[in-house]
Amino acid sequence: MSSLSDYFETDWAAMTATDWVGTILTVVIFVLMVVAYFQVFRPKNRDKLEARKHIPFDDDHQDLGDNDGRP
Amino acid sequence: MEATADFTAERKYDFDVVRWFTIMAVVYLVVGAGVGVYIASELAWPFLNFDNPYISFGRLRPVHTNAVIFAFGGCTLMGTAYYTVQRTCGVSLWSNKLAWFTFWGWNAIIALAVITLPLGFTQSKEYAELEWPIDILIAVVWLSFTFNFIMTIANRKSSHIYVSNWFFLGMMVMIVYLHVVNSLSIPVGLIKSYSLFSGVQDAMIQWWWGHNAVGFYLTAGFLGIMYYFVPKQANRPIYSYRLSVIHFWALMFGYVWLGAHHLQYTALPDWTGSLGAAVSLAMIIPSWGGAVNGMMTLSGAWDKLRTDYVMRFLIIALAFYAMSTFEGPVMSLKTVNALSHYTDWTIGHVHSGALGWVAGISIGAIYHLMTRLWHTEMWSEKLVNVHFWTATIGTVIYVVAMWVSGIMQGLMWRAYDEYGTLAYTFVESVAAMHPYYAMRAVGGGIFLLGAIIMLFNVLMTVRKSVSAGSLREARGTPAVAAA
Repeated sequence: MSSLSDYFETDWAAMTATDWVGTILTVVIFVLMVVAYFQVFRPKNRDKLEARKHIPFDDDHQDLGDNDGRP
Repeated sequence: MEATADFTAERKYDFDVVRWFTIMAVVYLVVGAGVGVYIASELAWPFLNFDNPYISFGRLRPVHTNAVIFAFGGCTLMGTAYYTVQRTCGVSLWSNKLAWFTFWGWNAIIALAVITLPLGFTQSKEYAELEWPIDILIAVVWLSFTFNFIMTIANRKSSHIYVSNWFFLGMMVMIVYLHVVNSLSIPVGLIKSYSLFSGVQDAMIQWWWGHNAVGFYLTAGFLGIMYYFVPKQANRPIYSYRLSVIHFWALMFGYVWLGAHHLQYTALPDWTGSLGAAVSLAMIIPSWGGAVNGMMTLSGAWDKLRTDYVMRFLIIALAFYAMSTFEGPVMSLKTVNALSHYTDWTIGHVHSGALGWVAGISIGAIYHLMTRLWHTEMWSEKLVNVHFWTATIGTVIYVVAMWVSGIMQGLMWRAYDEYGTLAYTFVESVAAMHPYYAMRAVGGGIFLLGAIIMLFNVLMTVRKSVSAGSLREARGTPAVAAA
């Protein structure tokens, strides 16, 4: 590889259907990951998501008739 | 207060099948580790083959891997999945009968593996050696397990599906299609078949399955265990739920790409291996995020590690998880792979993950379950402590032996003199490995001793519960009726 542009050079005409499926899936998954990171770390979603960490303890309290659902 | 909650849960949920999976997991841990120590000894002292093909290394090695991965690992996963899905969804299993079908079906598969593999019936695909009729049975039982799990979640009372169930679900869905595609073959008899794939495609499919068996079965599934049992044992919620969500999606999206790094310097296109290595490196971030998330759950309560031996198992497992998920990507790099591939370094890496992470988190979860399912304390806390140290010391001795042996192998194989000829014959490298193979057998033996201690302690705890009537009391069964 003499230059960076050589490294990224692609023969688009030689792409098979399988190549295209793989390429599209890669890009879609990358975009979905970006969306996931954005949603999860958005300050607005913090309390809603973190409230779910108590679920394993809800069970103990419901068993005892304590329905506030928090340890 | 906790005991009262457990009594209520005992009447509300289906725990019998969980109890049986738990006991069988411990039995298979002893069997699988026992066979492992024997074949490790065969490599150090080959007379142990006794010129008997049925107990030769080549035939017993898949018995060992199938016993530890699918028998011990499978029973642990199924038992913990059935337990946690009920407790986090607030409902009993969708079908208790189907759960029992998975128990007997899975154990039948294990029995068939123990019979067919020493007899030499194999597809010769790593971690997928079993012949086609057994493959079909695996698919049926696994789908039953998956369906029952999904339907239990569908009936849940909680508004949200807790993250441990996501990891279990990810494992179930991925294993269905990995197992089915990798096992596609043309039967030519009841116990003989040929893979549908050939050449480099066969190799790629094999390692697509092989690495994802590690990624989804031995990692995602056991992370499901981690996300429930670490918070429960610590009695504190997971450090960051947001991090667990990112951990899940990054694992699901990323892991499937890694298989190609097993085929560096082969007929596979060069870019495929490079892509596998690049994504492997990227996977360090979510893996370490998950490990830190688990460990930081103890933030502000690290003193628990002084007294809580079960917690020690869970946290040391996370340390091994972090170590293995760093070591793996490093080994996938072409320059490192040129030295490490085909050597014992790979065996060391696998066992730091298997003994340190998978067995560690499983053992911690099983000890936690024992007290909840039999409604009594462990028969001996001291023996749990002895088990912790034997498991840890045994694992470290094993892994260090294989690291030294593997790097020495790699260096001996690539060494050449001033004339350009190889400096060592292959057999010289084999002879040089002997002390390390003996050391590996000793390390494995110490780990096995811990597993035997665990089985004894577990059986004595069940006996204690039965004689004290703890389980009967929790079920609310009158003593006279029970008698």
